[in-house]
Amino acid sequence: MNRNTHRSAPWTLALLAATAVASGSAHAAGDDAASLKALQQQLEQIQAQLKALAEENRALREHEAEVDRKLATLGPAPAGAPQVAQAAPAVPAAGTAAPPVANASALPSTSALPSTAALGPSASATPGTTGPGLFGTGLRLWGYGEIYYTDPTSARQDSQFDLARAVFGIGYQFDDRTEFNSEYEVEHAVASADDVGEFEVEQFYVDRRLNDYVSARAGLFLMPFGFLNEHHEPTNFYGVQRNFVETLIIPSTWREGGLNFHGDTPFGIGWNAGVTTGFDLSKWDFAPEFPPYHTALDLEDADVAPLQATHQELALANGRHLSQYLALSYYGVPGLTLGAAVSTGDAVPVPAPPNAPIPGNQRVTLWEAHARWTPGPLDLTALYARGTISNTALINQSNPGSPNPIPAAFYGYYFQGAVQAWEHGDYKLNPFVRYEVYNMGSKYDGTSGPVIPPGDVPLSSAPGDYGRWPVWYDRVWTVGANFYIGPHLVLKTDYQWFHENVDFKRWDLGLGLAF
Amino acid sequence: MSREGLLAAAGAGVLSLALLAGCGGGDSSGGGGSPAPPALSLKAQAGKALFFDASLSASGQQSCGTCHVASRAFTANPATDHGLPVPLGGRNMDLPGFRNAPSLVYARFTPPFFLDDGTPTGGFFRDGRASSLAEQAQQPFITEFEMANTDATEVLSRLQASAGSLKAFVAAFGDGALQDPTQALADMGDAIAAYETEDAAFAPFSSKFDYWLAGQATLSAAETRGIALFNNPAKGNCTACHPSQRQGYSDHALFTDFTYDNIGVPRNWNIAANFPNPKSPISGVALDYVPAQTNVPAGAEYAYYDMGLCGPFAPAADDPGPRPDFTHTTTLCGVFKVPTLRNVALTAPYFHNGVFPSLHKVVQWYVTRDINNNTGNNPTPVPAGPGGNPYFPVGSAYVNPDGTPDLYQYNDLPVDYNANVNVGEIPYTPPTFAGGQAPTLSASEIDDLVAFLCTLTDGYDPNNPSAYDVPAQCAAGAP
Repeated sequence: MNRNTHRSAPWTLALLAATAVASGSAHAAGDDAASLKALQQQLEQIQAQLKALAEENRALREHEAEVDRKLATLGPAPAGAPQVAQAAPAVPAAGTAAPPVANASALPSTSALPSTAALGPSASATPGTTGPGLFGTGLRLWGYGEIYYTDPTSARQDSQFDLARAVFGIGYQFDDRTEFNSEYEVEHAVASADDVGEFEVEQFYVDRRLNDYVSARAGLFLMPFGFLNEHHEPTNFYGVQRNFVETLIIPSTWREGGLNFHGDTPFGIGWNAGVTTGFDLSKWDFAPEFPPYHTALDLEDADVAPLQATHQELALANGRHLSQYLALSYYGVPGLTLGAAVSTGDAVPVPAPPNAPIPGNQRVTLWEAHARWTPGPLDLTALYARGTISNTALINQSNPGSPNPIPAAFYGYYFQGAVQAWEHGDYKLNPFVRYEVYNMGSKYDGTSGPVIPPGDVPLSSAPGDYGRWPVWYDRVWTVGANFYIGPHLVLKTDYQWFHENVDFKRWDLGLGLAF
Repeated sequence: MSREGLLAAAGAGVLSLALLAGCGGGDSSGGGGSPAPPALSLKAQAGKALFFDASLSASGQQSCGTCHVASRAFTANPATDHGLPVPLGGRNMDLPGFRNAPSLVYARFTPPFFLDDGTPTGGFFRDGRASSLAEQAQQPFITEFEMANTDATEVLSRLQASAGSLKAFVAAFGDGALQDPTQALADMGDAIAAYETEDAAFAPFSSKFDYWLAGQATLSAAETRGIALFNNPAKGNCTACHPSQRQGYSDHALFTDFTYDNIGVPRNWNIAANFPNPKSPISGVALDYVPAQTNVPAGAEYAYYDMGLCGPFAPAADDPGPRPDFTHTTTLCGVFKVPTLRNVALTAPYFHNGVFPSLHKVVQWYVTRDINNNTGNNPTPVPAGPGGNPYFPVGSAYVNPDGTPDLYQYNDLPVDYNANVNVGEIPYTPPTFAGGQAPTLSASEIDDLVAFLCTLTDGYDPNNPSAYDVPAQCAAGAP
């Protein structure tokens, strides 16, 4: 959203009207009938223009109010919500705490207008984010979810259908400055001790606007890193599965418990800074007996990446070692979003025998920078993320032969281009292509790296179950398309090629929804 | 560096100095950096007296300490058992047992038996049938082929006749503890457990490996290669069951995860019970205590099998926390508890039946178990001798009493239960393995792995490395 464009619309409208009136008066003084007729025609044209502009202005105001309400719950999201809008008392109470999940801005937010329609469905048409709360109270409900089919074409026996996630949100607006938001997620359809699924609390926080420029948030909240982490609804990203960089390097959906302050400035910069729980290296598994993943889907789901394996998600999270973060975003130029963030803090250390303590701490640092430009029907995105873990040499030296030592550094980046190629009614077709590089261990201290067995190895203790041990880095091409049916439904398909783990190549089909 | 970092560094420094001071001597009673052990409690002192008191046995020649010899990491000494892999006991010291006596070092960390998401874990004895160290310690007193007292009453009468042990026992439990024989035996078990729990000799953590972790010892090139092979999931993969990382049972790595596995160990023909109508190899008396088994399928090659968790031994009737009876859970037939590898170089022979005399033979067998075995149920048998398994004289570790290859490969398990054998993990290399018929370790790599295993021997002194006393099998070039 381009706030400057929106706020200039009323002034433009008034200027046009004044010009029209002045012009009409001057010409009415004459007696030339032809001139009078011409002037009447001009007046009719101007009136028609005024009407069109008024209509557009109304739509813009509605759009701005709605997006502001949603962004107010998120702090400096990529298209950061102006704090002025957050403060507006005229915003309906229920709408002020518009659920983060319904914020479609991650994908379309940099689009100045819904009519550009290059980025999928416009946020303005998202129900559940407008009007009063349930039963006239401050209570709000929302949700999203996705179902996919994945076909690893080199290992078709591993093809799967899955209700990957069903998420429901509950929010409550206590007053025009204070709100509560929460999300609850069931992964893989069935969550029980005997099933593969999980039930998770993904967000659970209160947000208090302290003044027009600063808000405070406390609880379990999403970290403002990259594009996906805060805006991971399936309508908000290209491809059936989330990209690897924002899964393996930025551990989406990355949330921490803590406190932050966030706000926006009048010149288009959003900021967010906080103190949170950190990472727990005592959970590190140096000795996986079998490859922890052997398909691309496994790779994303198996929590093997450095920060995936060690984040705590506020589940009895260690309170001794905290992290700090700062995120900035710039949205002052229409169609352009720039952002960067850094988090750093000591991790819960790898346990060591009492007679062999590991001196010093392991500090985990992650930083990222991202940019998005949406000229016309195009949607161009780039992101780079890099993490480091310090003081790992002794730890790795005590685990020689490990297929999974702790990396000293890891990184990933991607470039993505999409275009709205076709639109008809509420149908939109957006093909895209993405090239990404990830390396979950670009540098190791105390070891030359993971000891990855060559050739086939057992993939499990089941007799005869053999395959390759994948490498921890790759380059991936993804080509596919999102097909929107209105703003809430999306059908997706894509195909992925892997340069290193070539057997991971897959064809995916997905259905996503958000409301 | 932050203030927190400085404090942490200072703390680590102080701690390191304290540890250096505490373990400078590297002795077996407090090495490995542990602070000086507190004096034993009265109960543990009583336990220590009982542990080494041979007068409490019917023969007068056997104590806990005769089958759990301190210098052998508290395992038996075959040299005093006529070379047998199982201890001799009984009233005349002529009755062989069934299993190789396990090490008591680090036994204190064993959890009581439990099913970890269905996986048997913990418990005492090799089949987990005792719920605690104290329960385990009582049993040998009243086992016919061990200390051979008829019952608790006889044990109590021997205790009352043993001045030293009696004095320590009464000091710990009082005169009243002598009134009820059953309670007295239970108290004796408690006392021995206290000794095994309190005395640093049972948990010294003073191996070269421990000092290497602490930066006070350097592994040789072979030892360094060995630990990497130990951890490598495609080579030794030993750490899968014998973790070189701590697991939550102790602050140190224990080199066991206390789970159970059926690894298809060959039958040991030096165990009398493995023969029909078994007799004592010493006196020739019939071994009428060999239990009859109800879970050996008809048509099995032999009448008697030691099948671990599913028998022939079951929890004692008076064990207050017995594990489930798995006699008829045939999928668990043949599984035994994973032992610690700490001090493994001291504890030959190996496996529950002591079938292999050296670590080299153990590892040679591991990596060739399912290849080149000239046995009847091997899908790809090869001729005996040249071309067969190079590590065993007849091309196979699975042999008959006369040394010829046995009909069945896993010959210490009824063939009906062959599916219980673990064939899915490295270092086993099943014939169907796509990698082919190659052992995961070469002969030189086996040497390296054994070299590393020898570093798990307690008693290393970082101030006098040359004095490290490791068994002969650790010497370079040992068979």
